[in-house]
Amino acid sequence: MEHATGFVLPNSGHNRDAEASKMGMWLFLFTELLLFGGLFLVYMVYRMLNPEAFLLSSFELNITLGTINTVVLLVSSMTIAMSITAIMRGDSKKSVLLLYLTLAASVIFMIIKFFEWSAKINYGYFPGMEVYQNLPDGESLFFFLYFFMTGLHALHVIIGAVLIAVVIYRTQKGLVTAQKYTLTENAGLYWHLVDLIWIFLFPLLYLIH
Amino acid sequence: MATAVATDLNFFQVKRGFFSWIFSIDHKRIGLLYMYSLITFFLVGATLGVLMRLELLNPGKDFLEAQTYNQVFTLHGVIMIFLFIIPSIPAVFGNFFLPIMIGTDDVAFPRLNLLSWWLYIIGALMALSTLVFGDGPADTGWTFYAPYSVNTSTNVTISVLAAFVLGFSSILTGLNFIVTIHRLRTPGMTFMKMPLFAWSLYATSWIQLLATPIIGITLMMIVAERVFGVGLFDPSIGGDPILYQHLFWIYSHPAVYIMALPAFGIISELLPTFSQRTIFGYSAIAFSSLAIAFIGYFVWGHHMFTSGMSGPARIIFSILTFLVAIPTAIKVFNWVATLYKGSINVQPPLLYALAFIFQFSVGGLTGVVLGALAADIHLHDTYFVVGHFHYVMFGGAGFAFFGALHYWIPKIWGRMYNIRVANIAFSILFVGFNVLYFPMLVVGLMGMPRRYYDYLPEFHLPNMISTYGSWILAVGLLLMLGNLIVGVRKGKKVGRNPWNGITLEWQTPSPPPLQNFDKMPELPKGGPYDFKQE
Amino acid sequence: MEHQNEQQEHKQTHHIISYKEHFSTLVALLLLTVLTVSISVFGAELRSLSVATALLIASVKALVVAYYFMHLKYDLKIYRWLVLLVMVLFVVFLVLTSIEYLNR
Repeated sequence: MEHATGFVLPNSGHNRDAEASKMGMWLFLFTELLLFGGLFLVYMVYRMLNPEAFLLSSFELNITLGTINTVVLLVSSMTIAMSITAIMRGDSKKSVLLLYLTLAASVIFMIIKFFEWSAKINYGYFPGMEVYQNLPDGESLFFFLYFFMTGLHALHVIIGAVLIAVVIYRTQKGLVTAQKYTLTENAGLYWHLVDLIWIFLFPLLYLIH
Repeated sequence: MATAVATDLNFFQVKRGFFSWIFSIDHKRIGLLYMYSLITFFLVGATLGVLMRLELLNPGKDFLEAQTYNQVFTLHGVIMIFLFIIPSIPAVFGNFFLPIMIGTDDVAFPRLNLLSWWLYIIGALMALSTLVFGDGPADTGWTFYAPYSVNTSTNVTISVLAAFVLGFSSILTGLNFIVTIHRLRTPGMTFMKMPLFAWSLYATSWIQLLATPIIGITLMMIVAERVFGVGLFDPSIGGDPILYQHLFWIYSHPAVYIMALPAFGIISELLPTFSQRTIFGYSAIAFSSLAIAFIGYFVWGHHMFTSGMSGPARIIFSILTFLVAIPTAIKVFNWVATLYKGSINVQPPLLYALAFIFQFSVGGLTGVVLGALAADIHLHDTYFVVGHFHYVMFGGAGFAFFGALHYWIPKIWGRMYNIRVANIAFSILFVGFNVLYFPMLVVGLMGMPRRYYDYLPEFHLPNMISTYGSWILAVGLLLMLGNLIVGVRKGKKVGRNPWNGITLEWQTPSPPPLQNFDKMPELPKGGPYDFKQE
Repeated sequence: MEHQNEQQEHKQTHHIISYKEHFSTLVALLLLTVLTVSISVFGAELRSLSVATALLIASVKALVVAYYFMHLKYDLKIYRWLVLLVMVLFVVFLVLTSIEYLNR
């Protein structure tokens, strides 16, 4: 862009820079990791202080549903990774299709989570409920952490799903192309983070046996 | 595809009006927005500080109730820490000068930058809103220690949420700076040719990015506690109140370096310019910033020596704490060596830099005393701690902020303040500061505990001296700010380079144009502080 | 301006990962999931080891996701260093805190 009276630097902050966007996304993911990291630290300490209680209360969780959700998230991670491959090859139709599959996976994950949560809440394990108040030492801490960690994770699933919907919309409008696919890439990175956190939540909460 | 329209107008003139400021994505305007808001909150916090000193003039109750005093010191802490010192130098001078010093026209994500300012303002308003409803501001101290923070009826929830929002703003600023430094350096400027201020911001940004999320989640736990009544930190159900302190200090100790590192960067800019000599030990200063940032993550336990932590952990944390002193001392020695045989030009910014070195050394050395496990058992929660961190934070970071103001105001507004008045204001500030805080170290050694509105009669004299010091300091502050404001409005116009500085910001007009440079900036040949070439 | 941008983009030619590679990654992850679940459900006698193995398997899974799905393998080296830095930092947090609590 030439201008008669002025001068513009080549390395302007207003240039489009795909690498910068990706780096920004990675840095953001680091903060997310440490956000959950704080919770993992609390989990570790309280499990060290109450090993038996954590073991007992983890029996209340449903391994089958947890495993299904793990598989769902892993598959969705693959579909969104593939959708990046598709858009890099210029196949935006396939990219959108794969994004829809990812979106569907996120919905399935949330539905399963909903049934899990409502079962626990029916038992009265939610913080503040009567059964919860009378749980023995340490067990209430386990359920608090269960709801807090999976709840925060579910919030991230929802944000990820919204992000994927935005990518679908923009890809269909032709704003995401083989030359300009940073948005898909970043949504993918975010979605993989959701998966990564679940990879640790699953054994820590469900597989204490 | 630069969207910025190139013009010859400076950045003040391109657009006018209130909205052109609060929705600007120009890093210079955002830096100034931060400056105006920060100084406002600083004055509020300082007023609260003067009030506390007034209450402590005599033993017994003077004019503040005990409960009011608790709320005043909490609000003073929250405002000064979260609203002033943590954002101070990065948000104001980092925003304004980082892009210029590395030769680009904006940060990597200009819109995100505006968002961080907005988050800052929202957080600030939330913190201040605790004043007007419910039982008033929190009375927990700025640390929000559980279990008291869970039980008190004051507005802890909203204060904690405010700190969360402010943390988010801090994270976004850090993220922005890291990407800016990685992606937007001018061609030819390698990492090892970057100004040291950029280095210090780089290290700071990493702390902001990697430590702040921990406090975020911890504060969310406090909120969950207060809402659901879980008793998360309650030993009667298997919890542990000390865990809160761990989580809090895992962030808040590195946060101390968020406050100090940018100040180191400022000093490393001021000394070469005013001694017209290359900085001594460039790479030692650059890497010691990273070393401080890294080691600083692992020393949080030294805030908890008396809270019931296990013995071996206390010894380990004490040893790790001593390690931080090494890179810090490296910096101080390099600064002093920079002055040696330089052609020293005594101007207000240099005076602030020298005061920084003295006061920061006092603060740092008292810090080593506190880091020693045995000494800390005696000194924990006494006025010695209060004296120590005011020497580091105010005498260090605060004075570096003032030094930066005096150094860069001619660049930002293109006008020079009255140097004579600035020197007088500096002298008053320096005397006031030391009269205010040195007695605290003494009275702390005598055993006076912190956070009380009352004290034993034998502590009267040092407390009186300290309160007199607060008045001198207040006069100095007002004189300094008044002089700067008059300078900005009516001062003599200056050219591009009033201090004969060498970093890139001195190659552009004062005030800079919207796109920062009117010609391609030229790097000094022999590194960023090569004063010999001319 | 446009020209320079294009140059920049060409400089960083991105590696396109094939569908097949993504699929094999998924298979590996699923196998690891089967492994960790079966150790937990059937391997009761390994109880003291189960936490360690579960975390080890989870870490391997996380690395696989980061390396292949998140393209770390094909990205600039700095990303790998940064991920390592964050992991080291967090592990040190955990170690220091456990030292504290194990000695109570």
